[in-house]
Amino acid sequence: MLVIKQLAVTYKKADESIHALGPIDLTIQQGEIYAIIGPSGCGKSTLLSVLSGVIQNYEGQVLLNDVPLYPREQAIGYIPQHFGLLPWKNVEQNYLLSLKIKGIKINTQTQEQIDYILEHLNISDLKHRFPKDLSGGQKQRVAIARAFIMNPQLLLMDEPFSSLDSLTREEAQELFIQLWNKKKLTTLFVTHSIEEAIFMGKKLIIMSDCPGTIVEIIDNPLFNTENIRENTEHLKLSSYIRGIIKKGWTL
Amino acid sequence: MKSKKRLVMFLQGFGLINLIWYLVAVLWNKSVLPTPLQVYAHMGDILNQEIGMHILASLYRVTSGIIIALIIGIAIGLLMANSGQWTKVLGPVVYLTYPTPKTVFLPILMLIFGLGNGSKIILIVLILVFQVIVVTRDSVQNISHETYDMITSLGGSKTQRFLNVTLPAILPELLTNLRVSVGTALSILFFTEAYGTQYGMGFYILDAWSRMDYMNMYLGIIIISLVGFVLFIMIDIIEEHVCKWKQTAPQEG
Repeated sequence: MLVIKQLAVTYKKADESIHALGPIDLTIQQGEIYAIIGPSGCGKSTLLSVLSGVIQNYEGQVLLNDVPLYPREQAIGYIPQHFGLLPWKNVEQNYLLSLKIKGIKINTQTQEQIDYILEHLNISDLKHRFPKDLSGGQKQRVAIARAFIMNPQLLLMDEPFSSLDSLTREEAQELFIQLWNKKKLTTLFVTHSIEEAIFMGKKLIIMSDCPGTIVEIIDNPLFNTENIRENTEHLKLSSYIRGIIKKGWTL
Repeated sequence: MKSKKRLVMFLQGFGLINLIWYLVAVLWNKSVLPTPLQVYAHMGDILNQEIGMHILASLYRVTSGIIIALIIGIAIGLLMANSGQWTKVLGPVVYLTYPTPKTVFLPILMLIFGLGNGSKIILIVLILVFQVIVVTRDSVQNISHETYDMITSLGGSKTQRFLNVTLPAILPELLTNLRVSVGTALSILFFTEAYGTQYGMGFYILDAWSRMDYMNMYLGIIIISLVGFVLFIMIDIIEEHVCKWKQTAPQEG
């Protein structure tokens, strides 16, 4: 479980200090997947940067499984917007990076886990390629593999599907949700697409304009149902969210 | 595939240069410019003349100079890239000394460090180290913060950040720079070997020249060029292995 209490972030830019985020109070339940939607520049990415340990200078408290957030001791999977693959490592070295940094030895059980994930994401044949020889969709699947292989306590994704073309995107989203349903990792992802939020988020967090705070958290009854996009509820939910957007991200 | 291409390149270049040389020598017809055939006919003699010792002496000076310059240069470059305070201290020194022709320090170095290998190697280091510092500093500063984010989120240590991101990111530029440095280092070597030594290819060429032994002088020039070429090829091979990720992969499937 992830508990965020009175989290606020202030940037220093030249002589100005910019209040970018918060205060935010939020509890993410174990084994759930949350989507964050909000206007651009509302601090969505800032929030993920705090949770991934990249920003360490913040006010308030972040507790992961009752312990203050500390990436060295905890397992946090992070998929940045452009996938964060290291260009000088091949696919295999990239997806094993999480284990290597954590100093985790690969035993039979981990190997089975790895093989299962690679198989599921259909990247077993790409092991020896370098990122520049991969398509966007392939890169993204490698990034997902890297995150899942370390079996993180918390998985963070920053607009993970936004740089893919629409066909690849739907396919990637479905692959992701199938894998997620098997592993049930506690997940938080940022998106600017209402469609994506409804398809992949069990709970939808709507954020306000800068400095971002939480406007509303919506339970998504459509999560994990068949043919989501054709359901009439889908239209209702997305027009409700659009309504919030029209009012300038307020209720 | 790559080595075959390289061999073809070498043979083509070698053939063409020798052809031009041959034509000029025949047309000009002076004893100071023998034809390549005459020079190569002397190849047998030269092998008896401790030429190996000369080559080794030169290689020792050049490679130690390059290696020391790399170690010091990378260390200082990293310091400057990562700490504003070091930049404040070292920046002006690097800036001021960068355009100074360091070869003018040879007499001073020889007075301080003697006529032996020390002063020769130090001069090579002095000339190369500033380029290494600047290239290291600039390429480290060009690495985007996002590249490190992944390692940060995994809780990676400073060493892990260096080994997984910084080093592989700066290697291509360092190697490109090293290639230029080899040429520079050999030129300086020739200059330093004019003084205070009985060994080295520079000495060998200048000695043959002063004795008007043109055959050996030309052979010396050819050999030092080949030494440079071999060093060049070695960097190529290292680059191929280390920078695989930059090359276009063979098409699969």
